[in-house]
Amino acid sequence: MSKKSNSTAAAFILLLALCTENYSQDSYKLPNGLSLSNQLEYSYNSEKKTEIFENWLNLDYTYGIFSTGIRFEVFQPNDPDPSISRGKEKYSDIAYKYIQAKIGNRREGLFLTVGNYYEMFGRGLILKSYEDRNIRIDNNLEGVRVEGMYGNFILKTLTGMAANSKNERKDILHAADLEYRGIKKLKLGFSLASNIPGEESASNTALASLRFDTKLWNFDIYGEYGVKHNKDISDQISNGEEAKVGDGIYGNVGFNYGSFSISGEYKKYDNFSFQSYDGTIQYNTPPSLTMDYSYILLNRHPYPLNANNENGFQFSAIYNFTEDTYLTGNYSYTRTLGKDSYYQRFLGINLESQAQQEDVYFQLNHGWNSNFESILAFGYREELVTNTKSITPVLEGKYYYDDINTFRVVLEHQQVKEFNTSEEYFSDILLLEYLRSPKISVSLVGEMQTKEPEAANKERNFWGFIQFGYKLAEHTDLSLLIGSRQAGNICIGGVCRYEPEFEGIELKVLTRLY
Amino acid sequence: MRKMITVILILIFYIALSAQQEAGQDIKKAQNFILEDLDGEFVELYEITGDGPILLSFWATWCKPCVEEMKELNKIYEEYKSEGFNLVAISIDSEKSVSKVKPFIKSKNYDFIVLLDTNSEVARTFYAQAVPYSVLLDENGSIVYSHMGYKKGDEKEILNLIKSLIGKS
Repeated sequence: MSKKSNSTAAAFILLLALCTENYSQDSYKLPNGLSLSNQLEYSYNSEKKTEIFENWLNLDYTYGIFSTGIRFEVFQPNDPDPSISRGKEKYSDIAYKYIQAKIGNRREGLFLTVGNYYEMFGRGLILKSYEDRNIRIDNNLEGVRVEGMYGNFILKTLTGMAANSKNERKDILHAADLEYRGIKKLKLGFSLASNIPGEESASNTALASLRFDTKLWNFDIYGEYGVKHNKDISDQISNGEEAKVGDGIYGNVGFNYGSFSISGEYKKYDNFSFQSYDGTIQYNTPPSLTMDYSYILLNRHPYPLNANNENGFQFSAIYNFTEDTYLTGNYSYTRTLGKDSYYQRFLGINLESQAQQEDVYFQLNHGWNSNFESILAFGYREELVTNTKSITPVLEGKYYYDDINTFRVVLEHQQVKEFNTSEEYFSDILLLEYLRSPKISVSLVGEMQTKEPEAANKERNFWGFIQFGYKLAEHTDLSLLIGSRQAGNICIGGVCRYEPEFEGIELKVLTRLY
Repeated sequence: MRKMITVILILIFYIALSAQQEAGQDIKKAQNFILEDLDGEFVELYEITGDGPILLSFWATWCKPCVEEMKELNKIYEEYKSEGFNLVAISIDSEKSVSKVKPFIKSKNYDFIVLLDTNSEVARTFYAQAVPYSVLLDENGSIVYSHMGYKKGDEKEILNLIKSLIGKS
């Protein structure tokens, strides 16, 4: 074992020892005001002989109106994916630190944050600064954030810098959001954000939006319209005559009556992506209007959000026949924009609008008796990013042997047609799971992919892994995966992370202490 | 500069921790938060604390175990709400799926408090590293239990703790 491997293993064993020995009592509590969480992920790829070690340690302290905290990150060796590694093979640093004061209350108060922070205005059309470790997104801002509440007004102002793909903070973001809540069941909001590039010769990019949110009888209605301004782009597409260089619209109507609910959404994002000058920091994430699935194959051909070139809608409905039997349905459709769009004018292209994604999904949950439940699901997806059409039926059964023991079986089948090559192939997944409350879970997952590149010449590939889950006391969750896994995508909110094919061992340890 | 900030932060931690230990306080109160409910009204944790135990249940519409757990937690809520128990379901649905939260809750006819944590601000504060995630508070707002994930039967442990907190066990 190399020196590097030794140190990693030592750190890993130390953390495990801390989890299992010193802090294994359920009654253990940290001193008042102090809390910590730790997330450790280690994987060893036996095929490529490579390892990845990632650890995030959060330490927070609250005393009265003040709170402070740090997040210490250790990636050694780091994930080789350039979008994750940020150019660093080995990395350890305090990546997040803050001091916060909360004075007063929501009706009349002031919240002040100095250091790193996250923020979202409205539904993210103008600004969404967030962390999602599953997809390795962290566009936290470093600077100052002030939120003031008085009467019916809430004002948020901030200035900060996010880290780019080289972990450098160059561009400066100034932003503000004002919300008025003086009219019963109606909220009005105005957001403004401006990115000042680190490059002096480049123009600022500014976005502004107006939004409303109202509740009328059984209806919930939300609407937001935003515009984008950038002098360099304006000069390019209209010789500076048009101040607006992009716009975005999002609308949502929800309705419920008894056991039935429906939600309809509309989007149009034209050259509306809000990025740093180097293009590696994404400041806004408008609603993507696509489904997130919990089944593996349904995430195999995702449709990622493109805030520059989308026009579409989504309908979702749910109807409860009984408490244990209900039907959910979802339909979403997205097209690219037409020739007159800001996006095409900016790129100097002249393409017809075309269907980009169509997604149909139905799921029927049924409880047969107190011991057995089933789920029948069907998904149809057509999308042009990977140029595929897929049909995916799923059958799931859950048997409750007694109050604490559960057996689960999931069968997934997917039929895929690739438009580029006219190739068709099938994937099948079988999952067998045993769950014992509150501590143990064991899952066996097998996948088979069948391709037929030539007539009567079938090629089959197999992957399989076993995953153990165990709970140490109430504060630590362990997960160990052994085996091989097919490449796939993890998608959250239209933002996807591609996970390459894997064979080896993967361990995750999640700990939190209050 | 970076090292200086780190040293200052560690010093703040150390001083605050020492001060706390000297004061001998052992009440572990959960951090206060304010979020919007499904009608757009603000709900503050400390304002609903004091009547009995509160279960904070972090969940999302796309999370199947969350939906399964919610059905069981609702049964506990219906049985013990008259004795001061409060269930607060905190949705971490982002801008993408937050529009589905109210339709889902209304179609199920649930009447416990549902709050929207669209940018996971409160989830981060309570270290909800994955959902479902439950945090049980006693009537003083102190954290007495936390649990990640859901398997059929997990609700029994929560039920026993709730019963002991309201003096029923």
